[in-house]
Amino acid sequence: MSVTIAQLLERVEKPSRYTGGEMNACVKPISEAEVSFAFCFPDTYEVAMSNLAIKILYGILNDLPWAVCERCCMPWVDMRKELLENKLPLFSLESQTPLKAFDIVGFTLQYEMSYTNILDMLHLGGVPVKAAQRSDSDPIVVAGGPCAFNPEPLHAFIDAFMIGDGEELIVELTDTIRKARKEGISRRETLRRLAKLEGVYVPELYVDAYNEDGTLKSLTPVDDTVPKVINKRIQVNMDEAYCPTCPPVPYTQVVFDRIMLEIMRGCTRGCRFCQAGMLYRPVRERSVDKLCQLACDSVRNTGYEEISLSSLSSSDYSHITELATRLTEALKDQRVSLSLPSLRVDKFVQDTLTQTQQVKKSSLTFAPEAGTQRLRDVINKGVTEENLMETLGNAFSNGWSAVKLYFMTGLPTETDEDLAGIAELAKKSAGAYYAVPKSQRVKGLRITCSASVFVPKPFTPFQWCAQDRPEEVQRKQQMVRELFRPLKSAHFNYHDSGISRIEACFAVGDRRMANVLYRAWELGCMLDGWNEYFLYEQWLKAFEDCGLSVDFYAHRVRSKDELLPWDHINAYIDKSFLWREYEKAMRAETTRDCREGCNGCGLQKVKGVCSVCG
Amino acid sequence: MRMMAVFEKGETLRYIGHLDLMRTVQRALRRSGLPVKYSNGFNPHIRLSFAAPLSVGVVGRRELMEVPVEDGLSAEQFQTTFNAVSPACLQVVYARCVSDEFPTLMSLVAGSRYTIRLYRSEEADRAAAAFEDFMALESYVANRRTKSGENPCDIRPFVKEGSIRKTDEGYEISLETVTFASGALKPSLWLECLCAFAGCEKPHHIIYRDAILALGAGEQLIPMEEYPHA
Repeated sequence: MSVTIAQLLERVEKPSRYTGGEMNACVKPISEAEVSFAFCFPDTYEVAMSNLAIKILYGILNDLPWAVCERCCMPWVDMRKELLENKLPLFSLESQTPLKAFDIVGFTLQYEMSYTNILDMLHLGGVPVKAAQRSDSDPIVVAGGPCAFNPEPLHAFIDAFMIGDGEELIVELTDTIRKARKEGISRRETLRRLAKLEGVYVPELYVDAYNEDGTLKSLTPVDDTVPKVINKRIQVNMDEAYCPTCPPVPYTQVVFDRIMLEIMRGCTRGCRFCQAGMLYRPVRERSVDKLCQLACDSVRNTGYEEISLSSLSSSDYSHITELATRLTEALKDQRVSLSLPSLRVDKFVQDTLTQTQQVKKSSLTFAPEAGTQRLRDVINKGVTEENLMETLGNAFSNGWSAVKLYFMTGLPTETDEDLAGIAELAKKSAGAYYAVPKSQRVKGLRITCSASVFVPKPFTPFQWCAQDRPEEVQRKQQMVRELFRPLKSAHFNYHDSGISRIEACFAVGDRRMANVLYRAWELGCMLDGWNEYFLYEQWLKAFEDCGLSVDFYAHRVRSKDELLPWDHINAYIDKSFLWREYEKAMRAETTRDCREGCNGCGLQKVKGVCSVCG
Repeated sequence: MRMMAVFEKGETLRYIGHLDLMRTVQRALRRSGLPVKYSNGFNPHIRLSFAAPLSVGVVGRRELMEVPVEDGLSAEQFQTTFNAVSPACLQVVYARCVSDEFPTLMSLVAGSRYTIRLYRSEEADRAAAAFEDFMALESYVANRRTKSGENPCDIRPFVKEGSIRKTDEGYEISLETVTFASGALKPSLWLECLCAFAGCEKPHHIIYRDAILALGAGEQLIPMEEYPHA
């Protein structure tokens, strides 16, 4: 007897990950659409449904009369095993359609360590994993998102990448494929047409060559009709941009189970390790009026009890106080609470919030990133100890007692003194708590310091930098751990050095990393982002089997002139600007926030895009 | 005034637990804009409660909830407005206004009525063959899994009536259970016991709760929504 999906659901943990049917989920029949799009998230349902991109693009595609978009997520280990054993294909949440039956299979690339899941999902869904093995009847496999800015490690598996903001591009791409399918055009020709769209990169139309030392020599288009450089797409006006006010509302709790109101895109701070800060330039704000309207629509359509403001640095939103006041007022009757960015726990916001009792005294989060002012200057993190202590003091005297501080270890130029600074900062934070009179503070101080491992990322001033070797990472982590031992109310957590190492290889990797990825997947690697499933030994074996070295990718300082694997992608950030920033970093010189004046990152050359430099 | 509503928890929702269902209904109520009442305090929430939690995996055909509402709201208006903003698998099929003096639904629960469908298979045949003998037993001690480990418990007193019939797809068992102060019987545990008694694996099956019962006049078990007004 053949087993049905319904029967599998009875055997797995959390079947609701696979059943869909949420409020606002798409109910358009797939058979009636001219083109079908499977939006794939290479992680579990709980992570997928917390992502803003999927909500935006799912909404945009399903608003088109001729398209249907359904969702598909990485199944958990138990479901994956059941699918394989019972020879059932991975299916979409909405109509339980196998991935291979869609016209387009699209992945969002949020994190390098989800790459093995992409291969696994394609395989489970009945789509040939390697692009070269796909035929005209197979789906076109596309991908976008921040990691698409260095598409090379995935070039063998993805037919077309979308670079930059996807709101307009995803419609153009889907429409192009719709027309091509209608005309019965081959997959090869369809990809040629896609390559003509601004912002689309079709890797099979480029050839790579290497120097003797292993560095990239060239990456050239196969002929003149193919663009040499791919420009990222920019959604210029955020008030006109689609905002997902009617997203599916999960039945079970997901990671971010609330309305995420995107108040702006981009960031002006210019932290030198931060990829998002560079990729999402320029900064573009939504207006307060628009946001209030979007918030009310979202509450009406979803019934969520909480709204959070979403952006890279919400406290920098120009009208944050006005927005907070007006949103609080507008949402009062429906008892919808508003989570505000941690940095704005100042007097004014306090007053607004206490009036309506809508503030949850959950834990506050700050990201000083480095332990000393010197190192914070190196990374251009414009947070001073004074700032932090003042904000903490405010928070502690207003009822908060738990605080999370985020750091990175292994940042360029880091010394043991900088590391000791992490423990110092924890100590001083405790001091800020005890400085508040006992009657005014809430009991139970908890300071949690988490340190990730620095990973060099493309399009940042640190793209040339090496990651610390694993022995060094571990020595540093142990050192800080020891310094935390005498601290009573402070705890220190740190990331796995192995995962960060592989992440670095993919972040700055070239086309040859595709072999490592495929081999690692063959060796059983998947769900690498979940510590318990990360198979470090298998990853090292995959490198060895492919004749490539982790050191070359993760632990090598690149020279100024080296051709980088992502140099054909134009994020409108000049390489010369990044190099200038790199040199300033080495001198521990800061660069001003670009709201205080243009720093000439490159965007000033694109007319009418950046509101800061005009 | 309170609104008592009978709703269906459809197949898509059968894996959603009690707390998740609670949140889902609260969100539907917020979408509906209906004049429901909120709790006071730090994190105000809609004062919603269910008559009896439904085990995960079971489809609810006539589940019951209650929520305090502003006076003047009609049952029809509640039903129509709620259904317009709730997914197909979570629809109100009947609503009724009750006064604040009406007992809480939770306090009225006296039993449940279930249908258990066994899909045709060798296991189903064996379970069905053992049904009459199993029902004839005067006691059957099962290990109830609780938070504090396994707990031996006689499940027979929980079962009031039961019958079985053959269908095109296999078998259909009707089961009426009673609820005691100490708790209720999970139909899945009952099925497990039947299969253990029959010496077979659990067949592929689906369980429906058809009604939540209250004690009517003359000690009769009646569907709770029919419980007379005080």
